[in-house]
Amino acid sequence: MNENARTLPQAKIERSRFSWFLWLIPIAAALLCTWYVCRDYIFAGPTITIYFQNAEGLQEQNSIVQYRGVKIGEVGTLKLMKDRQRVSVTAELDTAAAGIAREGSVFWIVRPEVKLGSVSGLRTIVLGNYITVQPGNGSPTNLFVGAEKEPIEPIQALDIQLLATKLDSLQPQSPVFYRGIQVGEVLDCRLSDDARAVLIHARIGEQYAPLVRMNSKFWNAGGIDFHLGLFSGAKLTAESAQTLISGGIAFATPPDFQKAATNGAIFSLNEKSDAEWEKWSPAIPLHAVPEAMTNETPLPNFKLK
Amino acid sequence: MDKLVACQTCGLVQGVDDVPKNSVIKCARCNFQIFHRRVNSRARTLAFSLAALILYFPSNLYPIITADYQGQHTQTTIFQGISSLFAHQQYFIASLIFCTSILTPALKIIGLIFITLTLGWPKWKKARTWIFKIISIIDPWNMLEVFLLAICVSMVELGEVATVHPGRGVFAFAACVVLTLLATLSFDSRLLWDSPEEKRHYE
Repeated sequence: MNENARTLPQAKIERSRFSWFLWLIPIAAALLCTWYVCRDYIFAGPTITIYFQNAEGLQEQNSIVQYRGVKIGEVGTLKLMKDRQRVSVTAELDTAAAGIAREGSVFWIVRPEVKLGSVSGLRTIVLGNYITVQPGNGSPTNLFVGAEKEPIEPIQALDIQLLATKLDSLQPQSPVFYRGIQVGEVLDCRLSDDARAVLIHARIGEQYAPLVRMNSKFWNAGGIDFHLGLFSGAKLTAESAQTLISGGIAFATPPDFQKAATNGAIFSLNEKSDAEWEKWSPAIPLHAVPEAMTNETPLPNFKLK
Repeated sequence: MDKLVACQTCGLVQGVDDVPKNSVIKCARCNFQIFHRRVNSRARTLAFSLAALILYFPSNLYPIITADYQGQHTQTTIFQGISSLFAHQQYFIASLIFCTSILTPALKIIGLIFITLTLGWPKWKKARTWIFKIISIIDPWNMLEVFLLAICVSMVELGEVATVHPGRGVFAFAACVVLTLLATLSFDSRLLWDSPEEKRHYE
């Protein structure tokens, strides 16, 4: 037996050097948890509260906040305020969009809208209403008062006011024509403060701004103009097919034009055009299309290697 | 030369000297590890159960499934899934899922941690044995994996109708399942009734 045992091989004994590796598992688990917490509470974007008159179409934990077609946040809770006049909507913004939570940012709810001459927000019928924003650049804040409709963008253009006795078929987004070419549109219509006239706010694209002079004549180009003359026969005119349903405004500038109109200039809107106005054809140099109107951010300059 | 051992892998009988702590025996022929008990059982069980306990929280607090369906964006945690089953009067399935995926893993993880931590204490020997019995009873019911499988199936099946993707909690959930399995596997029940000398040797 002893002799046999002596011939048996001897097992090797090694120090196990890597037994402490085992404790890396709970440490890794703890690190994973820390990362989860960090991502949710420390690196999370701001939570903002927006007060809307009407939060129709928004859903708790479900609706999203979009900017330029990209999701930048999620709606958290919807709550009716105590005075029942407003709804407070909380939204969690993504970290990348934290810069949008600034004073001057305007939030509004995009809903499907079908108007004569234009349809907008069709996507929301399938995807649900969403909140979108026009960023401001004030100091950071978390409280906002939501707008009821899309705010008028402060782009570079000529804004003028037209005074009319009645609105006729004009409405927001009705076109403004110069020689039959659309050069601008109506932004909004309201009664004047003393209710004696209708104030129409129209915007002329910047490249066409020089066409509007202080002595330009504006008239309502909506509907169909029907003349039955003894010598000219029957004459039917309409500015364009669109004006038949959505109304429109046309204007002309006399050959002895005065200086260009400035923002906020007020003109009166005539009900009909005058044959003489239509003959006017002054030569007015137009602006080149400025960068602001093309609505494109210049691409960053990449250096080619 | 005081002991003879046989290698479990190649069957070679060989002599072995006293083994110092933190060392392993390797076979002279096939170089495979030779062990008497499950290796390093207490430390492994403790490490795996601690990791499982840590990941148990995110796996239950974070959504397992996120689904986008016709503008509806829903995130569901396991618990919300169970409560919606309750709301649909599926009491049996709801309580089954609650037991198998929330209750028993928690009991098992806490029980294993308790046993491994208090192993050196002369007191509570009976309590440890009882806890081990309970763990052995609930172990077959611990079918987290099945639930996980069901989730995976629904992800594939619903793919046509709705956009279903794993939520943030799904990784923690899967890791928790694997770690709980490993903790049970590495636990050697003989540790429960070892005498103090044996304990020093085998822990």
